[in-house]
Amino acid sequence: MTDLELHLRKFQKELSAGTVSLALLAVLGAASEPMYGYQIAKRLEREGEGVLSGKQSALYPVLRNLGAAGLLDSHVEPSVSGPPRRYYRITDAGRDVLREWAAAWRATRDSVDSVLEGPSA
Amino acid sequence: MNATHDTPLPRSIPEYLERLRESLAGADPALVQDALYDAEEYLRAEMAENPGKSEAEVIASVAGSYGAPDEVADIYRDTEVKVQTALRPPAPKPRKSPWGQFFGVIAEPRTYASLFYMLLSLATGIFYFTWVVTGASLSAGLAVLIIGIPFVILFLGSVRILSLVEGRLVEVMLGERMPRRPLYASRGKPWLERIKEMFTDPRTWGTLLYMLLMMPLGIVYFTIAVTGLTLSLSLIAAPVALMLSGTVLVDGVDLASSSQPWTWPLAIGAGVALLFLTLHIARWVGTLHGMLAKHLLVKSAQYS
Repeated sequence: MTDLELHLRKFQKELSAGTVSLALLAVLGAASEPMYGYQIAKRLEREGEGVLSGKQSALYPVLRNLGAAGLLDSHVEPSVSGPPRRYYRITDAGRDVLREWAAAWRATRDSVDSVLEGPSA
Repeated sequence: MNATHDTPLPRSIPEYLERLRESLAGADPALVQDALYDAEEYLRAEMAENPGKSEAEVIASVAGSYGAPDEVADIYRDTEVKVQTALRPPAPKPRKSPWGQFFGVIAEPRTYASLFYMLLSLATGIFYFTWVVTGASLSAGLAVLIIGIPFVILFLGSVRILSLVEGRLVEVMLGERMPRRPLYASRGKPWLERIKEMFTDPRTWGTLLYMLLMMPLGIVYFTIAVTGLTLSLSLIAAPVALMLSGTVLVDGVDLASSSQPWTWPLAIGAGVALLFLTLHIARWVGTLHGMLAKHLLVKSAQYS
């Protein structure tokens, strides 16, 4: 692995540490029915590699932490194939938090964009 | 990170999970359990999505998206550290002034946990003492019979389990890090060897001693806690009750007629001082007892 790739990987990892929670909440906030980990991972994969930087396993611990913080509800259902699945659904508190986070995200994005573009804008 | 980079990819789900378990060696068992559960769920879902492919093929493709076992282990460790840092309650501010140090004890959760341990230790102390004394005398009495030997072995085994239980109590209430699982140093050895080790392990005898000690200690702790709390609280409450109702009977003696009103503020002051002193004693007892438990219940070599 080249130096450049290493730097990129490290940056992606740090970036995803904060944004994965937001992306998960957003996916579950838009979903009409409870989803389980694999579905969420595939859903994020469809949107592109950006959020998870290619490591779906990173979202499972985050899912559990969001659940523990009361932002997600979860229940276990037996599945036809394999172990029982844990389904997640966003709570009302989760929706409030999502709104706040989305606003914070937009503010961050705008300010980072303007810094990247330089003072010419 | 480690040798798993050189070894070929796992070819089946159990193999993958076993590799993940190895990569997570030394991590919190709750975390290991969570990680294995998540990985199994993901792998099985991936298998169900791709019915045409073989297990080895699916796992090879998953290594790119979900991650190879050691990568997954790293992700779980990192997240655990971050989350633990985020969720831990802020440490109480170190108080500089002597007044702050004396009164700050009331704001520390550890104080109340220690106090509760002191109250609880009467019950656990009596139980441990009874268990050890009964077990030891029955062992000695039955030693002449053929069932004596299995009885001794069962008894020592039960004592080792109780020592884990007590370790959990001590860790939760007194904050001293204690082992969470039994040592598997003897796993895989013949059972005669394992029984011999149970007898030669100094921890077994340390535990027996600890359990005998818990009875007198428990009585002392309980007495200190109950006396300190009731005495200080009634010193604080009595003047208040006198002011509100005008008469308070203690054992048939009327406090209103037997005490001067100017002594009432003094009683409250003494009560508050005694209350804080009790809380401080609870902290000391908690720390000292944690050290004692660690010395008697845990082999020191376990940590090195």
